[in-house]
Amino acid sequence: MSADAAGSVIHDIGYRRYTGQRLGRARIVSALAVQSLRSAFGIGRGAKAKIFPILLFVMMCLPAIVSIAAMALNPHQGRLFSYDTYQPALRALVLLVFVALQAPNLVSGDLRYHTLPLYFARPISRTDYPIAKLIGFTAACLAMIEIPLLILWVGTISQVHGASAVWHQTRALGPGLLYGLAWSVLLASIGLVLASSTGKRVFSICAVAVPLFITWILATVLSHIGLQIFKPASGGTPPALASLAGLINPFAVMGGIAEWFGSAPKVIYARAALAGRGPGPGPGPGPLVNLVGHFGLLYGVMFLIMLAVAIGGLLVRYRKVGIA
Amino acid sequence: MHGGGSGTRHEHAGQPVTAVGTASAADRGRQPVAGGVIEADALTVRYGMITALDALTVTVHAGVTGLVGANGAGKSTLIKVLLGLLNPTAGQAAVFGRDCATDGFEIRTMTGYMPEHDCLPPDVTATELMTHLGRMSGLPATAARERAADSLRHVGLYEERYRQIGTYSTGMKQRVKLAQALVGDPQLLLLDEPTNGLDPAGRNQMLELIARIGAEFAISILVASHLLGEIEQICDHLVAIDSGRLLRADSVSSITQASPVVFVEVDDGLPELQAELARRGLRPVGYQRGLLIEVDGPEAYDMIRDVVADLGLPLIRMAQRRHRIEELFRADPAMIEVTGATSVS
Repeated sequence: MSADAAGSVIHDIGYRRYTGQRLGRARIVSALAVQSLRSAFGIGRGAKAKIFPILLFVMMCLPAIVSIAAMALNPHQGRLFSYDTYQPALRALVLLVFVALQAPNLVSGDLRYHTLPLYFARPISRTDYPIAKLIGFTAACLAMIEIPLLILWVGTISQVHGASAVWHQTRALGPGLLYGLAWSVLLASIGLVLASSTGKRVFSICAVAVPLFITWILATVLSHIGLQIFKPASGGTPPALASLAGLINPFAVMGGIAEWFGSAPKVIYARAALAGRGPGPGPGPGPLVNLVGHFGLLYGVMFLIMLAVAIGGLLVRYRKVGIA
Repeated sequence: MHGGGSGTRHEHAGQPVTAVGTASAADRGRQPVAGGVIEADALTVRYGMITALDALTVTVHAGVTGLVGANGAGKSTLIKVLLGLLNPTAGQAAVFGRDCATDGFEIRTMTGYMPEHDCLPPDVTATELMTHLGRMSGLPATAARERAADSLRHVGLYEERYRQIGTYSTGMKQRVKLAQALVGDPQLLLLDEPTNGLDPAGRNQMLELIARIGAEFAISILVASHLLGEIEQICDHLVAIDSGRLLRADSVSSITQASPVVFVEVDDGLPELQAELARRGLRPVGYQRGLLIEVDGPEAYDMIRDVVADLGLPLIRMAQRRHRIEELFRADPAMIEVTGATSVS
């Protein structure tokens, strides 16, 4: 029986054994991470799954595009947005929606459909799975944050003249990329641990969105109250409540870290309030003071705590998950 | 037609699908493992107050082995221990000579597992899922795609492989579950209630498939089932457990070698038939709406036939049954639902 009869249908080809290379644990984890990254953008799924990721990505790119366009139209115009904080409110908003919508895609299905036993019956441990998901989703957030930065950088250096100007831009980009990585890993881990709390997708979305959104609002309101009620002492040190309110929310923590490193744009209302003018008459710049005041280090510590709790929680989650 | 080592050629991408001779155990180079594929030694698992496995000592050899026991007898627990997913409270288990407590990764590389419960995402195609799970078994991307197609073909889902699993029937889903266990080219399959939820036709198909995988693919299989009558058809060996304890482990042939049993059902006159058979030296036992009669030779069949005819009874059925295999459980009333055949004498 030979198979050279072209076009003939062979129903039974017998069992073929696999004798090739078998990948180790690290390669399996990276394959799962790549698959998770793809699913964060709906790649490999229908067109519908790609709508939101693409929309959010385009939104994230808008500041970069506007900045490049402005520079092209007006040669004296410098870069509009910094590489590190970029457009903080937009970044926080877009990532909030992105993480809330896409983190459940990575984890809730395997929980809902009890697919995890199929993973754990393979050479994958209970820590490998969440770590692979975390790597994949961090990469997805990184793409959301840093591709716009790279667009901004490419657009800017194409319009500056001289090697020193290019070098200047590139040096400014470095901390921005590092800061973006911190954003990504924090939001990815928080998003995944919250999303993995339930297998139902809608609940999973809420489990991510609601805490992030509410603490964000609360942090903003509290720091407003702090600034309005407790007038800053002379010398422009903001009141402690205003400085510390941000510690309850990851976005505010990231903002605080940027201020700690002295690269954040000064908050407008803070400026007015800190100038001692309050809502009173007379605009005009007060002393520019970081909202985090002396508490910058605390934001750094809080970043590490949040990261440790989220990753630890994720590992514990999958250590305990039942495999029927 | 068996090209020497033909089974080793398919890792080349793009090679057209060619007929490859059915690989026999010999040309697949699988050495029988000394001492058995699975060995459990005083294996004990306790969940709090509940003892799921109680000093279970058993050796499973190459071939198809049935793991029978009622629901809750400890079948799934044993499988989890064998996969290295559950550490025994006491005792040891080994698969291919590797300790389940410490070498789980190695064991899971060589083993395919089909869970009892639903475990398939409905929103992906069978091909996508198989390819992904092939990669999760450690196959490179190209090999995973090839083996995904292969394993779906083996379970008879080749035509439907690009359909979303959510559109599949229960029987097709069970076959996808079997295919995913095969995709990593395991040397051992652990199947947990593979006929769960299937109609009689689906059950037979699944059993044939498992028998074929065991015979033609030369993969050792441990099939857990609470339906003894079902899996004894396809098994070489049986391991019966109850409440985590070993009831019996033996080859099916040695278990069923003993004198067979005939089941006779008549529409009317059962007491008369029983009395007459007993008078002629047989030992009829009432069972359901008929009699179970142990026969020790061909003349006994004739005698039963003659008795029925002499008494002029309306015969409904006279069928051969295996006796001793069900006797495995007869001593234990808890096993009635397993065998469905307990003497009521």
